[in-house]
Order: sequence, then structure tokens, then C-alpha cells
Amino acid sequence: MTLSPYVPIVGLLILGALFALFSVSIAPIVGPKRYNRAKLEAYECGIEPAPQPVGGGRFPVKFYLTAMLFIIFDIEIIFLYPWAVSFDALGLFGFVEMVLFIVTVFIAYTYVWRRGGLNWD
Amino acid sequence: MEDLNLPPIDYAALSPILILFGVACLGVLVEAFAPRRARHPVQLVLAIGGSVAALVMVVLERNTRVVTIGDAVAIDGPSLFLQGAILLLGIVSLLLIGERSLEAGGPFVAQAALTVGSEKDNRQAQGAPGNTEIYPLAVFALSGMLLFVAANDLLTMFIALEVLSLPLYLLCALARRKRLLSQEAALKYFLLGSYASAFFLFGVALLYGYAGGVNLQQINEAVAASQNSDILLYAGLALLAIGLLFKVAAAPFHVWTPDVYQGAPTPVTAFMAACTKVAGFGALLRVLYVAFEGVQWDYQPVIGTIAVLTMIVGSVLAVTQQDIKRLLAYSSIANAGYLLVGVVAQNREGVSSTLFYLVAYGFTVLAAFGVVSLVRDADGEATHLSRWAGLGRRSPLLAAIFTFLMLAFAGIPLTSGFISKFVVFGAAIDGGQSWLVVAGVVTSMIIAFPYLRVIVMMWLSEPAETTPTVSVPGWMTSAAVFIGVLATLALGVVPSPLLDLTNDASLFVR
Amino acid sequence: MTPDYYLVLAAILFTIGAVGVLVRRNAIVLFMCIELMLNAANLTLVAFSRITGTLDGQIMAFFVMVVAAAEVVIGLAIIMSIFRARRSASVDDSNLLKY
Repeated sequence: MTLSPYVPIVGLLILGALFALFSVSIAPIVGPKRYNRAKLEAYECGIEPAPQPVGGGRFPVKFYLTAMLFIIFDIEIIFLYPWAVSFDALGLFGFVEMVLFIVTVFIAYTYVWRRGGLNWD
Repeated sequence: MEDLNLPPIDYAALSPILILFGVACLGVLVEAFAPRRARHPVQLVLAIGGSVAALVMVVLERNTRVVTIGDAVAIDGPSLFLQGAILLLGIVSLLLIGERSLEAGGPFVAQAALTVGSEKDNRQAQGAPGNTEIYPLAVFALSGMLLFVAANDLLTMFIALEVLSLPLYLLCALARRKRLLSQEAALKYFLLGSYASAFFLFGVALLYGYAGGVNLQQINEAVAASQNSDILLYAGLALLAIGLLFKVAAAPFHVWTPDVYQGAPTPVTAFMAACTKVAGFGALLRVLYVAFEGVQWDYQPVIGTIAVLTMIVGSVLAVTQQDIKRLLAYSSIANAGYLLVGVVAQNREGVSSTLFYLVAYGFTVLAAFGVVSLVRDADGEATHLSRWAGLGRRSPLLAAIFTFLMLAFAGIPLTSGFISKFVVFGAAIDGGQSWLVVAGVVTSMIIAFPYLRVIVMMWLSEPAETTPTVSVPGWMTSAAVFIGVLATLALGVVPSPLLDLTNDASLFVR
Repeated sequence: MTPDYYLVLAAILFTIGAVGVLVRRNAIVLFMCIELMLNAANLTLVAFSRITGTLDGQIMAFFVMVVAAAEVVIGLAIIMSIFRARRSASVDDSNLLKY
């Protein structure tokens, strides 16, 4: 294999690094210091959601907990799926390993359950 | 469908790692089911007992030299030595973390979810028992470190890096007092840490493209024979090195260190300064010596330059510090520079001297942070240097201990700091890197100044009205400080047993 | 259809993420940029897996996804607790720690 296919990658990396260095060093010197709300928005483009909900559009923290809990199962399925596909080939050893893995995930789950992370109120 | 061949697994060699992972999971279950009152003693015993059991297994397995579990983990001299060192230092840090007599409820917040400054938060600061999740978190971090130094492929190394980093981010955020500072430290550590690990990962991806695999031996062979573009190799190595150098706090990837060391609870800072440094350098050594031996002439000057830069940044900025924790942070950066000198030496003495330095520095820094946690006033720890003025008159014993530790950092003979600098510089001269030694000696002289300033301040200033009191330490902090001071002295007076041990342990399996 | 284009795309994504972390101010956005970098690495891994004809890269991508998810949990927890105290997720406001 020759160099050629990877030259663009390296070029981009160098360009990116130079650009980052340049903009970081120049910004405090020449940039105007006008902070406004849009700077802190997650997306700087697009229309603002209207009407603004009460309290600036914040959600109860419970939604965050639920979303984090979902991630536990999300992670679990990533590994369960390939295992299920080649279940036959992996045999007993694979089964035991998978049980151990699921037990570990459930340890986290019982912690959340006992600490009341599953109660909505 | 035919059965797959299972890789052989040497469970005995892996047992220290497995024990700690098991103990950490058990700790989570204790959090879930044990009554609130029982949690602290149970968790403490579990964490320390688990670490001791793992240490015993490391000692029993001391002659094992094996690459196991599908070439993912290499249990050899350096990894066993480093695992032992991490466990020893980890046990001492756990003593500091578990201390509850200095402050009602211990140094950690009772409930991390309480909003800072709220009514409930003020009440918890008055002495609600600190939370006990810190123990499973610390044990998870320890087990990640054990795996990190033994990882024989880059994927395992990446996973171990995250397993050790993620609990540390959380531990930083859990201080009982000055919680905003603590959370800010955690945020900075988290953002910069995951930024660095993203670089590490992209480096892994490029090296995978270069070598067709991420096993260290495979990369080593590819370096010698691969037809692929060298650009992939160098870009991959550079990105990988950024991730590792960040963890060991080498300049220019050191900016997080002072902030995080200052903001984090002092026991956690001690834990990071001692154990994370060992783990980071262990992985750096393995990657550079096993996988990239073939390009050592290419990376040596680069790492050497970084070493010089790290020593200069650490020592010069240490001079201007006004806060004892920040001062120790910059000292930790400078020490990372000296350690890099040993890494760059690229010979067997380089490995063994780095191993020695890591252990010696770890014990000294643990004792130093142990002392820092004792100097307190009504608001918690008094870390500003001006508050330390006249401490020698108030409590001579503590000031004497701290003076000894400062002298050890400065590298005065009869302390471990002298021997460790001596062996590291000796290895560098053998490796033909004399310019690093020159830089090392010059910066050692610069950094002696801030250490001496602290000593002069403690002994020669009059105690002011505001000089804080020194709390009477509980047995755990006393033990931790005592072990640290004893190791600093012992390694300075009779270093040969540990030097022999590091010599025996300095060969990587391939 | 050559897989090289995917490498170029991954490098672009990685650079966007890396620069984004340096120039943006909202902690959540910094965090999204870091996730972008991880995913760029994933894309590289999968593309190289195709080029080298080995499956390792795809397996690694799984692990990276798991790590990224764990990072999200920890990162959001820290950012959220700061946000509740300060009512702002701007990293410029986190300026208590300096010399």
C-alpha cells in the first residue's frame, strides 16, 4: 500500500490542529466580548421553541434518572446481541460468561432499585 | 456450526484484578442492602481486605510470566511489580479516605445530589455521615489501574483507562466542604480527561489500521515489517501518547493537574497523585517498550523534549504557588518529568529506575497529603501557604514530618527522593541521554526553592492569630503518614532490596 | 465504493469534535463534541475492519459504544450538579480554581 490514501487524513489533522491553535490564540485578542443567551444555547441555529415553557424549559430531574437507567439496558443489549447470534458456537463457556455479565449489570440495577431510583414520586 | 476455540485463561495470574472487581461489585450490593449505620465499617473492611487479598495473590504469583486470556493481558515482571505497588499505595490511600475523626462525618459529602448552598446542604456539612459509595468507586479505580498496567492490547488498555478514570471523576466531586470547587475540579477533570481519552482512542483506531490488530506484539511486528504507510504509525503513536501523557500529567497536557488537585478532597488527591501516576507510567512503559521498540529512535527526542518541558513547567510554576495543594500539584508535574527521563532512557535500567521512582514518590506524596489534611480551621483544611506560617512553633512534630517530606521531594540524601532521582538520571546517562540529566539537575535546583520556602515559613515565621490548629489525627491518618514517612526514610537509607526487586522485575514478556 | 472515503469522513468528524471542544463554551456542547470524537474513532475502526478484513475493529466499536454510554452517565451527573448550583452550564463561569 502506498502513502497516498492517507495523506488527506494527515493533511486534515494538521490543518485542524493548526486551525484550532490559531483560533484559540487569536480569539481572546481580537474577539468582541459580547455574551448573550444564544451563545449558551445547545444549537446556535434554528428557531427558538415558542412559547417558552415555564421556568426556561427545564425538565424535572426524574427524566434524567430514567434516561440514565435506560442506558444500563442499552449497554446490556450491545453485548447480548452478538452473543445470541453465535450462541451455538460459544457453548457453555459463553453462556456462563454471559450470565456473569448479566449478573454484574443487575448489581447496578439492584442498587438503583434499593435507592429508590425507580420510584417516580 | 463448529465450536470456537476458547483462549486459555490463567485465572491465578488474573486473580488480583478479578478479586478487586468482585469486591467493588460486592461494595455496590452493600450500598444497596446494608443498613445505613453499618455501611461505613463494612465498606472500609471490604475495600481494605479486598486490596490486601489481591496483594497477597500478587505476591504468590510473583514468578508468573505469562500472556493470557487471548493475549489481552500480560502478567510479567513489570506488571506484577506495578500491581503490587498500586495495591500498597492504594491501601494507604484507603486509610486516608476512610478517616472520619478529623471532621464529623469524614471528608466526603453526605449526599452528592444535594444542591450546593441549599438548606439541606448546610445541614449535611455540619456532620452528617459521609457517603460510602466512595469505597466501591475507589476499588473500581484500583482494579482499573491493575488492568491498565497489565493490558497487552490497546483495546483492553482503553477499557482499563476508562474504568480507572470514570470513578476518579466522581470521587473528585464529592468533597464535604467547598463543594463548588470540588465540582468544578470534577468538571474540568472530566472534560479534559475524556478529551484525552478520545485522542487515545483515535490513536488506537489508526494503529489498528496500520497493524491489522491492536495487540502490542502484533504492532511490534508490524513496525518491523508492515507495508502500510508510516504516517498511520506515527499519527497513531502520537495520539496514543497524548492520551497516556495526559494521565501522568506531563506538559503540555498538565493544565488540569493543579485545579483538580486543589479542588478534589485531599484523600482523593493523594490517591490520584500516588496510584494514577503509577498506573499511567506503567502503561506508558509497556506501550513504548513492547509495541514501539522498533521506532524508539524516532520517539525518543519527542518524549525527551516533553520531559524537559514538563520539568521546567512543573518547577518554575511551583515557585509562584500560594496554595499548598497547588504547590504539590506542580511538584507532581515536575516529578512526572523526572520519571519521563527514566522512560526515555530506553534500557533495562530505565524501566527498573522508573519503577523504583514510582514507589518512592508514591509513598512520599501520600504522607505529604496526609499532613495537609491535618492542618485545619473552622472551614475545613487551611491550604493557603500564608496560613502555614509559624506552624513549627504550634506543632513541631507535624512541621518536622512535613519538613522531612519536603526535603525528600527536593532530593536531599538519606531520603528516597535522592536515590530515585539518582537511579533515574544514572539510567538516562547509560542510555546516552545526558542532556535530559542536565535539565533534570537544573530544574531540581529550581524546585528546591519552593520546598525550602515552605520549610522557612513553618519554622522561622511567628505564628499569627489565624494560624490554623493541627487536628489530632485518628489512627488511620496516623498510620498512613507513618507508613509514608517510614518508606521515604527506609528507601533513602537502605534502597538496595527494592532496587534488586525492580531489577528482577524489569523485563517485559513479549 | 472504496472504504477510504470513510476514513476521510472520520478524520473530518474527529477534527470538528476536537476543535469544537476548544472553541465552544457550553459544557453540554463540549461533551457532545467529545462524543463526536469517539464516534469518529468508531467509524475509523469499522472502516479499517473492512479494509484489513478482520472483525476486531467491529468488536472494538461495541466496546467504545459502551464506554461512551458510561461516560455520558458520569459526565451528565457532574454537569447537572454544577448546573443546579449555578443555573448555568457555561465553562467560563467555572473559574473558582486558579492561582
